Amino acid sequence: MDITLIIDFFPKLISYLHITLLILVAAVAIGLIIGVTIALIRIYKVPAFNRLALIYISFMRGTPILIQLFLIYFGLPALLTLVHIDVSRANPLLFVAITYGLSCGASFAEIIRGAVNGVERGQTEAAYSIGMNEKQMLVRIILPQALAMAFPNFANSVIGSLKDTSLAFTIGVMDMVGRGNTLIASSLHALEVYMTLSIIYYGVVLCLEKGFSLSEKKLQRFEGSLAVDTK
Amino acid sequence: MQIDILFIFTALIEIFKALPLTMIITLVPLMIGFLIGIGITLIRIRKVKGLYRLANFYVSFIRGTPALMHIMLIYLGLPLLIDKLAGTFQWAFQSTSIPILLFVLMALSLTAGAYMSEIIRAGILAVDQGQLEAAESIGMTNFQAMRRIVFPQAIAVALPNLCNIFIGFLHTSSIAFIVSQKELTGAANIVASNNLKFLEAYIAAALIYWGLTIISEKVTALLEKRATVYNRGGVA
Repeated sequence: MDITLIIDFFPKLISYLHITLLILVAAVAIGLIIGVTIALIRIYKVPAFNRLALIYISFMRGTPILIQLFLIYFGLPALLTLVHIDVSRANPLLFVAITYGLSCGASFAEIIRGAVNGVERGQTEAAYSIGMNEKQMLVRIILPQALAMAFPNFANSVIGSLKDTSLAFTIGVMDMVGRGNTLIASSLHALEVYMTLSIIYYGVVLCLEKGFSLSEKKLQRFEGSLAVDTK
Repeated sequence: MQIDILFIFTALIEIFKALPLTMIITLVPLMIGFLIGIGITLIRIRKVKGLYRLANFYVSFIRGTPALMHIMLIYLGLPLLIDKLAGTFQWAFQSTSIPILLFVLMALSLTAGAYMSEIIRAGILAVDQGQLEAAESIGMTNFQAMRRIVFPQAIAVALPNLCNIFIGFLHTSSIAFIVSQKELTGAANIVASNNLKFLEAYIAAALIYWGLTIISEKVTALLEKRATVYNRGGVA
């Protein structure tokens, strides 16, 4: 083992960090859209769709991300040939973003639903009693509180997704791990590559944690009793 | 698009045979991880000098890196270490004679230890400090108080999290296929490439994982009812 190789590999691998972060950002963006939609369906118990949402969440929660990745990678092109769209030559990044987006969507939906339901019923009544309409009540009273409550879980989920992106290389995405594998093939120093990768992932997670905890403080600055220090 | 529905059934049966290995890769790390977790928790709650920082770093590092990294670091690093030791001490022993499964189990045990310690800590901290004082006031030793008073309640609090970590590790075990373990995902991979029916094989694997998850959620709900008996409000 040659520790100095880590210094050599570090710049080579970190130059692919943006791909990893791109996957994460795309996944979170898709996840937010899906998550909010499904949370609304679940909260208002929209007939039929509520059922579908339940199955969707259960499936995403019930299967490993790796299997989901393979299902989308092999299933989506097959599905799209039905409508005569050929995506078999598409960049695997697309499939990864969709898979992680779908997976984020399921967990975000549950987080949002839990947070909205976590806001006391009396707050809704109070808002109505001073003459707010439904939209005002949601935007001014419920959502700000729900957001503050959902944030820690949301942050955990995002960090979880970042770690999950390490599996994207299995369908041939050239992210950090994918690049790492080509480095292994050319240098035969697998351990050093994975050590470097671990350091980068750990660094990114630490940065994200720091950023999230700062924004969490900002979000929860109005909370009196709720802002229990969890550390 | 053609999906061979019948083949999904064939694949289901074929892949299902790999269930024992998946269970081993899920449960063994969780059990060892539970022990590691208890140790780490005690160190962190008692703030044992020296070890305390190490324990904090261990938990933070493991939680900050993907499980794939843990598996690869142990799988690639440990053999080097063992061969080096074998070289210096003249052991008639090669790291290649150790099955890969053992490295996977070791790596995932370390992973589980960090996550377990967080769960156990949350459970123990959730038990009111007054309970410990009450136990001591009637003459229990610290160990008795921990074992009889704090632990049963902590487990009840931790049960949903334990269920989550079980499901989490059931899914994490799928990563083992990358180091060519023939667990559910590995088996699905083999079935898929032998028959060139990728989608069907992965659908079958997904169904198995999904079923297992639903079953473990149901079992947890039952266990939770039993574990929180002491906490039931009202009469009878």
